Amino acid sequence: MKRETDYGYAIKPVYTPADIEGMDYAKDLGHPGAFPYTRGYHESGYRTRMWTQRMTAGLGSSVQANAVLKKYREMGQRGGMCVISDRVFSHCIDPDHPLGRKEAGVLGWPGCSLLEFEELMEGIPLTGQSITLLGSSAPTVMRLSYVVALARKRGIDPSEVHGSVMESPFENYFGQTDVQPFDLNLKLWLDASEYVVRNKIRMRSSVISQHFQESGGNNAQAVAVVLSMYKELCGKLVNERGLDFDDVAMVPYELVSIGTRFFEEIAKVRAMRRMWARIAKDEFRAKTEKACQMLIAVHTSGRTMTYQQPLNNIARCAIQSLAGAMVGCTAMDNATMDNAYAEPSALAARMSLNTQHIVAHETGVADVVDPLAGSYFVEALTNEVEQEATRILKKIDDMGGLIAAIDKGYIQEMLRDEANKKFLEMDRKERLIVGVNHLEIPPEEDFEIPIQKLHPGDSEAIADRMAQWKPTRDQDLLKERIQQLHTDAQKGDRFNLMPSIVEAVEAYATSGEVIGTIRKARGLSYDPFNMIESPFVLH
Amino acid sequence: MKAGNGIKVIVTMIGLDGHTTGGEVVSMILRDAGFEVVYLGVNQTPQMIIDAAIQEDVDVIGISSHASNYGQIEELVDLARANELDDMLIVVGGNIPREPAAQLLAKGVHKIFLPGASGAGIVEYLATEARSAKARAASSPAGKQGSLSA
Repeated sequence: MKRETDYGYAIKPVYTPADIEGMDYAKDLGHPGAFPYTRGYHESGYRTRMWTQRMTAGLGSSVQANAVLKKYREMGQRGGMCVISDRVFSHCIDPDHPLGRKEAGVLGWPGCSLLEFEELMEGIPLTGQSITLLGSSAPTVMRLSYVVALARKRGIDPSEVHGSVMESPFENYFGQTDVQPFDLNLKLWLDASEYVVRNKIRMRSSVISQHFQESGGNNAQAVAVVLSMYKELCGKLVNERGLDFDDVAMVPYELVSIGTRFFEEIAKVRAMRRMWARIAKDEFRAKTEKACQMLIAVHTSGRTMTYQQPLNNIARCAIQSLAGAMVGCTAMDNATMDNAYAEPSALAARMSLNTQHIVAHETGVADVVDPLAGSYFVEALTNEVEQEATRILKKIDDMGGLIAAIDKGYIQEMLRDEANKKFLEMDRKERLIVGVNHLEIPPEEDFEIPIQKLHPGDSEAIADRMAQWKPTRDQDLLKERIQQLHTDAQKGDRFNLMPSIVEAVEAYATSGEVIGTIRKARGLSYDPFNMIESPFVLH
Repeated sequence: MKAGNGIKVIVTMIGLDGHTTGGEVVSMILRDAGFEVVYLGVNQTPQMIIDAAIQEDVDVIGISSHASNYGQIEELVDLARANELDDMLIVVGGNIPREPAAQLLAKGVHKIFLPGASGAGIVEYLATEARSAKARAASSPAGKQGSLSA
């Protein structure tokens, strides 16, 4: 069995002061709330603000997802809500598209129009909790427009809503693909980010190392990749959109995957905070302390939730939640014991949410900030992962940044190799996973957990509803707004499309119509799958 | 000679499933074992996969499935039948719950590899079954598919 970190550092049987020789407390750690923020951003940690405990929702229709969100609120989820999109909305086609018809609502929320968002949020406040909508990058502009449009309809100033509805364009390369081209996703992401900065809307964008890591990447690579994403995206907002770095740094947040290798996960996040603080100050000349603080939310690892003996996943989730709490996260959502089977059942969701509540209220972990600081082992691991991540980050920088490194195939190859390595380690029993390659039991002895079932007719129903609803919209207004969007989308990459997208969305233009129209203006086909034509006559 | 020599396999995702890691890892294992792998990637409709299978004259279609869109795998089986691809194996790998897994096997999928399936197990199954399917096809022009097993 391997006794090394996933990035290949051999772990010793015992750690002593010699392992952290030369460490300067003030320079390398600092008190909680002090640069370089290795120990977190709040002097008294969770006593000041408890992390947001939330579960991801999204399956079936918007009305069904709304019921789940309300159920989560009953279970004590009040700080924030988190909804993941289905594959149809993630691709920016509509449920009544021939491909959408087969998968609408299957793997998440079918949020292809403002109507769907209104149904999702019926009876749920937009303010007083963080609003998080996950999915892929391209629908970033749609999700942001929904929030702005619904806030206006409810008479709320959009700047009073907070949360995260944007998603970085890089996720497409990390095992969570959408069909839109990178340059379009990047342009739309920059438009949305510029829009929130200029309008002082407190919406963040996820810049996610979680996808990278869940696709097989190791801890050091994840740190390097998330920092290179931050550098590339912040750099573009400063250099191409003329924004101030201190404002720009408020846009991204990192969603980090926390697995079961407890100490290594904690070291990873501490290193991530320290490295970003130094990059913000040294490379971007940050003027405010806030700009040096990488906002970090935790997703406990879905990859580690096993198909075999799913009840074991409760134990894994508890260990990971404890690690997530120890790193001083802003928010946490859990993978569930049925993660390898389906979207969470009510039982599994309650179990996971309660796991967080137990960690928060019963263990005492929330009473003390960064409780493992000063541990020879954890500080040595923090230094090790930082060193390896710095080496990879330098390589990416030397190639000209993350976009250049992706163009050269460097990141994809790194991820592929690492995913293969992880599989082989498991296949050869170099890493043991209980119930999978160690202490297996026959399937008939396994405990069967309730699984949320899908009904094939559900997708058709969502598609039919959209097809029937489309003609009931104010067609003149819709055509006018779509035409305006088409005209604006021909004005070049730097022309911000957010205002015309918000207007189109307020006229109930769907994601397929909005992104399709922008695609056409850029010389692409309306439909990325070339199966349907634009219903609009555009000039 | 390696186990997979002379056997051609499509590895693909189906429908809008964007989870590529499993398919890529399995492609690597199969290539290392001597199989010829045609990796189709993402955004493949059942029709596109069948077209590729005919054009490339493959022995096996392998679907990496992590998006619960099992209806499209069933469609693929129907299309294979309609195109008389009776000697071609259709296998699926992924985190598929027991009930839809049983349904897919009943529909005519030849084998489902669940999480925890070993690289050696996948290689051995495909090499053995694809070779016997080839032998059957050679001995009888109207050779039929092999038996179903989970």
